[in-house]
Amino acid sequence: MDLQTSWRRIGLPLGFALLSLLAWEAVVRIFEVREVLLPAPSAIAARLAETLPLLLQHAWPTVWESVAGFLIASLLGVALAALLSASSLMRDMLYPNVVLFQLIPKIALAPLFIVWLGIGFQSRLTFSVFISFFPVVIATLAGLDNVDKSLLRLCRALTATPWQVFKDVRLPYALPYVFSGMKIATTFAIIGVIVGEFITSQAGLGYLILFASAQADTSLILAAILVLCVFGLAFYGLVAGVEQWTRRRFGA
Amino acid sequence: MTSPLSRPAWLLASSVAAERGRSYISVQDASKTYASRNGDVHAVEHADFDINEGDFVSLVGPSGCGKSTLMSMIGGLEVPSSGRITIDGTPITAPRRDFGYVFQDATLLPWKTVLDNVLFPIRTQKRPVADFLGEAERLLRLTGLWAFRDKRPTELSGGMRQRVAICRGLINDPRLLLMDEPFSALDAITRDDMNLALARLWDEVHKTAIFITHSIREAVFLSDRVLVMNARPSRIVADIRVPFPRPRRVEMQEDPEFQAICAFVREKIHEGLSGGDGTVSS
Repeated sequence: MDLQTSWRRIGLPLGFALLSLLAWEAVVRIFEVREVLLPAPSAIAARLAETLPLLLQHAWPTVWESVAGFLIASLLGVALAALLSASSLMRDMLYPNVVLFQLIPKIALAPLFIVWLGIGFQSRLTFSVFISFFPVVIATLAGLDNVDKSLLRLCRALTATPWQVFKDVRLPYALPYVFSGMKIATTFAIIGVIVGEFITSQAGLGYLILFASAQADTSLILAAILVLCVFGLAFYGLVAGVEQWTRRRFGA
Repeated sequence: MTSPLSRPAWLLASSVAAERGRSYISVQDASKTYASRNGDVHAVEHADFDINEGDFVSLVGPSGCGKSTLMSMIGGLEVPSSGRITIDGTPITAPRRDFGYVFQDATLLPWKTVLDNVLFPIRTQKRPVADFLGEAERLLRLTGLWAFRDKRPTELSGGMRQRVAICRGLINDPRLLLMDEPFSALDAITRDDMNLALARLWDEVHKTAIFITHSIREAVFLSDRVLVMNARPSRIVADIRVPFPRPRRVEMQEDPEFQAICAFVREKIHEGLSGGDGTVSS
């Protein structure tokens, strides 16, 4: 990447974001917008600095529940996709239902999980798994189906077992798809936990946002959202990093 | 060109009874019929021939003549609708671990190195990889690919990829190597190169092989024997024993007899295309 393209790809969006923040700051100062309505970036930064221990304390449950939800959803998603691709009976029976379920606005089901699993982390974790699971299943299945048909013929000629075909050919072929599903799932997993925390919780960033809004502490709301953004970005970046490593490892 | 009265020595009778005795692969009245919406499709009809051990046999014919289906049946990838195909008297009903397969696409695993691709059948068949490293090196050296053993398929040219696929087909020291139009996706110059490389390889490995192609020159240049197939009805219309010794030389293609054989094969194929009335339309 030469200097000009690196400037365009990194400097340009960064510069725009910085300019937007400056404009925001200027608008708030010039028109004297009240802090409860829209705090200036500088005010949010100050609130972030003074409440950082509190924010981090509340970030912890949100982070571990999202990460655990994501990991469980990824494992279950890949496993179900493998089952659907291995058995045409299972596929014909389950796949239309998976697609149908995908269409349900799943957020609306969140209160049900509280009813079923109580107000502990179990209900939030399960709900997070529930909504981040679908993108992984659908993307992985698309990948497993996308395998080069002539390679399957080769495997048949070599008398490979179904398990060998899956691990040596189908899964490596599907990996880019699996990762694109997993990258969507990172965001979904966080949404699941936050929604759960909105409904009922004594801790977590979702709880903190709700608490701050009851106090009309808009700066704290935005500071919490900022922490969420940083976490979401790091989470996504981690998965993208694992993807890069896997691609180098497998050279696909 | 070739009148039936003065049959040249290289043209064999359609069923070579004399060679049946020491036959190795035996195709006995094998047919393959597929059901389709427009009625039955006869992909192969009454194929009947034997292949001797050590022969490089080409099946040449126009597209749609059923040569790939016939090869799939010999390789056990498809089962004949009627008739039978045997090796040493044992019917072939499924892919065999003592066969080697090479397809039109190189079908290499893109995330594995050249060496690992060549060893893929060994790993799949759970044989000790260490026992085959020497053979892998020998084959890769014979095909000029040893220096590329740690490269990935995407770093190779089309011709190199197909050579890797041939090495992979030979890694298990197969009793029969089946090659289904392995060079048809290559450009003309690369293809000539590959023909020469394959002829050289055969001087070293001496394997029984069935080679499918629609290039007449390629078939005659590479083979000990050429079977000409026609479409509709899909059957074998000529059986030729190529009289040239090995090693094969490029200059052989200038030989009048080589050209006579090519012309005869072309004529046979055109007879089929023009409805079998013997008129040549080229």
